[in-house]
Amino acid sequence: MKFLLLLLPSLVSALCAYVVRPYRATVGWLNALLSLLSLGAALAFAGHAARGAEAPVFGPGELLRADGLSALLMVCVTAASTLTLFLSPGVGTETKYTQAQLRRYQLLINLFIFSMLSAVSSNNVAIMWVALEATTIISALLIPLTRSKSSVEASWKYILIGSVGIALAFAGTVLGYFDFVALTGRAENALNWPVLLQNAPAMHPEVMKLAFVFLLVGYGTKAGIAPMHTWKPDAYGEAPPALAALMSSALFAVAMYAILRWKVVADAAIKDHYADNLLLALGLLSLAIAAFSVAQSRNYKRMLAYSSVEHTGLICFGLGLGAAGVFAALLHLVNHTTAKSLMFFLAGDIERKYESAAIKQVRGLLKVAPWTGGLFAAGLLALVGLPPFGLFISEFALFRAGFAQQHPWLMGAALLLLLVAFVSFITRLNGMLYGEAPAEVGAGETAGWRVAPMLLGLLVLVALGLTLPAPLDTLLDQIVRIVSR
Amino acid sequence: MNSNDAIFAQLATLGSSLVLLFGIALLWRRSLSAYVRAFRWQSLALALTFALIGYFGHNRELYIVAAILVVLKVIVIPGYLTRLYERVGGKREAQPYVNIATSLIIAGLLVLLSYAITRPLVTVSKLPTRNGIPLAVGLILIGVFVIISRRKALSQIIGFLVLENGVALLAALGTYGIPLIVELGVFLDVLMGFLVMQILVYQIKDTFESIDVEQLSRLRH
Repeated sequence: MKFLLLLLPSLVSALCAYVVRPYRATVGWLNALLSLLSLGAALAFAGHAARGAEAPVFGPGELLRADGLSALLMVCVTAASTLTLFLSPGVGTETKYTQAQLRRYQLLINLFIFSMLSAVSSNNVAIMWVALEATTIISALLIPLTRSKSSVEASWKYILIGSVGIALAFAGTVLGYFDFVALTGRAENALNWPVLLQNAPAMHPEVMKLAFVFLLVGYGTKAGIAPMHTWKPDAYGEAPPALAALMSSALFAVAMYAILRWKVVADAAIKDHYADNLLLALGLLSLAIAAFSVAQSRNYKRMLAYSSVEHTGLICFGLGLGAAGVFAALLHLVNHTTAKSLMFFLAGDIERKYESAAIKQVRGLLKVAPWTGGLFAAGLLALVGLPPFGLFISEFALFRAGFAQQHPWLMGAALLLLLVAFVSFITRLNGMLYGEAPAEVGAGETAGWRVAPMLLGLLVLVALGLTLPAPLDTLLDQIVRIVSR
Repeated sequence: MNSNDAIFAQLATLGSSLVLLFGIALLWRRSLSAYVRAFRWQSLALALTFALIGYFGHNRELYIVAAILVVLKVIVIPGYLTRLYERVGGKREAQPYVNIATSLIIAGLLVLLSYAITRPLVTVSKLPTRNGIPLAVGLILIGVFVIISRRKALSQIIGFLVLENGVALLAALGTYGIPLIVELGVFLDVLMGFLVMQILVYQIKDTFESIDVEQLSRLRH
């Protein structure tokens, strides 16, 4: 029942958007309100899992399952989607998009949300793959909403890189399943995650190593782990802000989720630190590439994309650092989802105001639009890991886990790279906030009432920085118990 | 190993080799129509291999999968591809980033590499189909190489489709067929992915007036 409440609203919304033609603002509002149902269902699942109850299953062959990890991701995805749908173009504000574009947007964004939710609630790792591939296809259709040259280019690069990556992930899935078939024959539900995990200790470590490399490269492409991150600045920079917000927050979280699911199986089969070491190496590479790319970035949307690469690196680190690391990584994932879902909307508003995404064109933001500028500054300070925001706490926990695991050199290098990125971010932010605004840019907010939901997101981030709410704490503990035994 | 298994092993290797050969054929041809033809034959060889594995592996579901493969990858997708290159022009892959002789050498090296990385798999496996596995992985790598080294958007799509065929071959050889529901989901994704790529090619043609991906270089820093 709860599963239907989770999944159906986005499908209904997509249907509404498809049927009502031309687009009307009521559809936008209705879809935003419907998404609250999904959010409610996700929170109910999370509460259920935090109490330590048996994971609910649904459908033939236990198609859907919601353990603690799935529930956490459901909350992340539905929260980011709800925020996105309320802040969407054509919902209570003026917009540059035409009616036809808005209708296409509402249709595709809801299908996009539906496939992300299917991916995290699917019990079968191959169905999870199918849903993740669907996210690539749908978002590639949505990126060139305005058909500009650069958006078509970004979309082409994105779908090519994304499709290759996801095909490799499927090869990995098959290789993981391969040994299973050899061991037990063609069992029912053999691709269901709990069944895989149960049989993992008997699998050949060598085969699982090969499978995990394919999976890490494949899903890592979706998550944007360096060196498979090259699509990220293009896609985030050119997509409509609402889609960029969802891709950088929710879709990224779902891709990391897929990696984590398989890492648990791989760990059980391989029995040494193989997967951990791979994640640490790619994490360090991501941090390094992000730090130097930020230093070169001239476009604030692309700068935010490199910030995503940086956080991808941090979360990879966490996943490779044992139980305490996984706890920190998941907390970081929650924080990052909250922060990133705001930033692209703000960047979109700034772009509309200044009619440019170049950092050097944006001057005097605090004077021109104090609310937008203030929120953008706060969000960026949160992303570089300053207190009192949640990311400070999770990064602190992450580094503590690293030092406790006897990786002082690695963590030292990571800290240094974070510092390099920090300096670049702050100089760029300074340039944007102060100085003389160009003469043709008049003062005044473009955000309007949309400041309120964004402020709410920021408050959540501050709350997570001041305290770790007890339900979240127990939920994360439950998850750590599932994934690191 | 009984004689039935021996025949199966040889036929499976033969089928996989054919699939791989049509993949390599992409590398020494230049016209897009030859690309489409090679893909069509490759998909047919793949469907036959599926049916073969279904027969010897006693899995009837694979016949259904083979039938869908024929409809989708031998008839529907090549048909769309032909229409696509007729409409957007650019019938030849005039100057790939890597020339033909080098491409073939690289393809050979990629197949060797795939033998190296699949060694653990082939040694632990007792399946009669195990000798085809390196060939499937080789095809996957060749698909990636085609995407990287060709300049026309259409050649890149075919590279992607070849890569998908490689993954499908790997799945059939390694597991005697993944569950049908998953297979259907995969087909749906391949078809949707292909259609979206096709839409994007039309959009590239409209906005850039060429399908040479060399032009797609606006986005930096």
